[in-house]
Amino acid sequence: MAEAGSALYFIITLFAASIRMAVPLTLAGLGETFSERSGVLNIGLEGIMLSGAFFSFMAAFITQNILIGVIFGCLGGLLISMIHAFMSFKYYVNQTIVGIALNFFSLGLTSFLFLAYFGRTTTVPQCPVVKPIKIPLLSDIPIVGDVLFNQDIFVYFTVFACFVSYIILYKTVWGTNIDSIGEHPKAADTVGLNVKRTRYITAIINGCLGGLGGAYLTLAMLGFFMENITSGKGFIALVVVILGRRHPFGVLFAALLVGAAEALQYRLQTLGLGLPSQVFIMLPYVVTVIVLLFSIGKSGDPAALGISYKRSSR
Amino acid sequence: MKYTKELVSTLIIIIVTFLIAAVLIIVAKYDPGMALQSFFYGIFGSLHGFAEIMVRATPLILAGLGVSVAFSTGFFNIGAEGQLYMGAIAITCVGVFLPPMPAMLHIAIAIIAGFLLGGIWAVIPGFLKAKYGVSEIITTIMFNYIAINIVGILVRTVLKNTESALPYSPVMPKSLSFSLLLYPTRLHGGFILAIVSAVLIYIIMKKTTIGYELRVIGFNKRAGTCSGISVYKNIVLASLISGGLAGLAGVSEIAGVHHRLLEGISPGYGYIAIIVALMGRNHPLGVIISAIGLSALQVGANSMQRQAGIPTSITSVLMGVIVLLALSKNIMFSGLLKKMRIK
Repeated sequence: MAEAGSALYFIITLFAASIRMAVPLTLAGLGETFSERSGVLNIGLEGIMLSGAFFSFMAAFITQNILIGVIFGCLGGLLISMIHAFMSFKYYVNQTIVGIALNFFSLGLTSFLFLAYFGRTTTVPQCPVVKPIKIPLLSDIPIVGDVLFNQDIFVYFTVFACFVSYIILYKTVWGTNIDSIGEHPKAADTVGLNVKRTRYITAIINGCLGGLGGAYLTLAMLGFFMENITSGKGFIALVVVILGRRHPFGVLFAALLVGAAEALQYRLQTLGLGLPSQVFIMLPYVVTVIVLLFSIGKSGDPAALGISYKRSSR
Repeated sequence: MKYTKELVSTLIIIIVTFLIAAVLIIVAKYDPGMALQSFFYGIFGSLHGFAEIMVRATPLILAGLGVSVAFSTGFFNIGAEGQLYMGAIAITCVGVFLPPMPAMLHIAIAIIAGFLLGGIWAVIPGFLKAKYGVSEIITTIMFNYIAINIVGILVRTVLKNTESALPYSPVMPKSLSFSLLLYPTRLHGGFILAIVSAVLIYIIMKKTTIGYELRVIGFNKRAGTCSGISVYKNIVLASLISGGLAGLAGVSEIAGVHHRLLEGISPGYGYIAIIVALMGRNHPLGVIISAIGLSALQVGANSMQRQAGIPTSITSVLMGVIVLLALSKNIMFSGLLKKMRIK
């Protein structure tokens, strides 16, 4: 009986953890979905998340207020996203290369400012973290209640954001405009859609959601910041976007899959199987590659993805 | 006239980069005078500093050449870091598992093995890209993380030095070490390997049909296909050469610097190599120059950290800024250059 109980406990915590691991990937993935559907490939997503994580931590640490932390997380992501937008829309620079450069920029900036502010201390500076919110009645459902309705506000917001994104992208005219700009910016421009403005707006959405994804790492999962805290989560979010075929719920499910691999990895590490921990740390990346293989031949990229749009060019 | 314009915009980039560095240093309340002094002292102050720049430039040239070959063919290889580690694994296996043999033969086998293993690590994403259109940016980055963890697993299991509790491989035999070029500094034979590779890549890319076909595919896939040049073949080939060169960077780091496999042998050389290739405009000579330049930046930054306590992560910020400025300089500076009456 006790064994069955602990197995059940293991599964419940695993599922609950998978959902938490999926939150930053989903948020960043949703942002990138908007961006990519409008034809802008932003590899700088890693930098966006890192910047969001850093600025949310600093704001929350200094003010001891989580809400201010969240706001600065969005602004931090926005900073990187806006540089990307500015560079690729005003100077027509290769979007991929700007993204790579911004990842460097963000990694350097966050570590530099962090070390400059705190110095090399032995104690890890902590910031306040969000508490789980029990939803009345629903959280009393056995198992499901613990997994789904005893989570923090970010989790509920993520699901909400998926619904809103779905409605915007599939049920509004503006959503269709985004798609047409991603497919054929010239044609969209000809019929009077404002390509640049739309792309700037999707870049804003991308920056805010990506920054929020980064903020989740510091304000909910960890409560502290360290150099390169995202360690590739932004890149994994890019895979999640491809895998979810740029559909909000697709992104959510893909993120849950990768999130489960990550949650499992942490659990396996603590079991003490006598294997080097690297075997498990590697797991989410391996799962990401394998999962990517399953999407072969099924991805319909927006036709103008990653191509700068110059109004005056043919 | 073209050169004046280039020169002026390069100068502007250098000045802006220095200004941004100064702002960061002042905002973080470090001593800017001390920073400047220690930066230049670190670079020009001693023979050791000069040799250190070349030591760090060696893997950057090799991996940078690799990235540049891939970029010229339109294959965005972000995976030089992982390919470098694969090369390091290859030479370590050659050292640990093969019987003793003459140095020339041993090094030659290690170089071939490093090239092949690094190459294989890039060919898998290359194949997936060429055959199925899977984004190489994603796969190569994931392969970086996987390779680094494989190193972590190997130095704790198969390749572990049984006489030590630490996660290291045994020390490589003498026959697998590059000789020092400038005793007592760390400058080693890997630098010659890097220069020779640069010459070879120059010849292959600019003087042979193979290189021509690679560049055609990078320039215009459709035009290439129409004139009978296979996109598939050339992307796979480019990824092999690219990963192989990054693998050589790993071989050179083990044979010249560390002499055994351990975690963290590369402080991001594979990622900096991307910037090396971009700044060097995919030309071997440009790669050498930008590798030495970025390496000097790092050596100077290390000296700033030692003497003024400034975190070395400032180099990442500056590298990002340099790339952004260099990419957008033609449009960004055109107004400025007109005002200065430079055509």
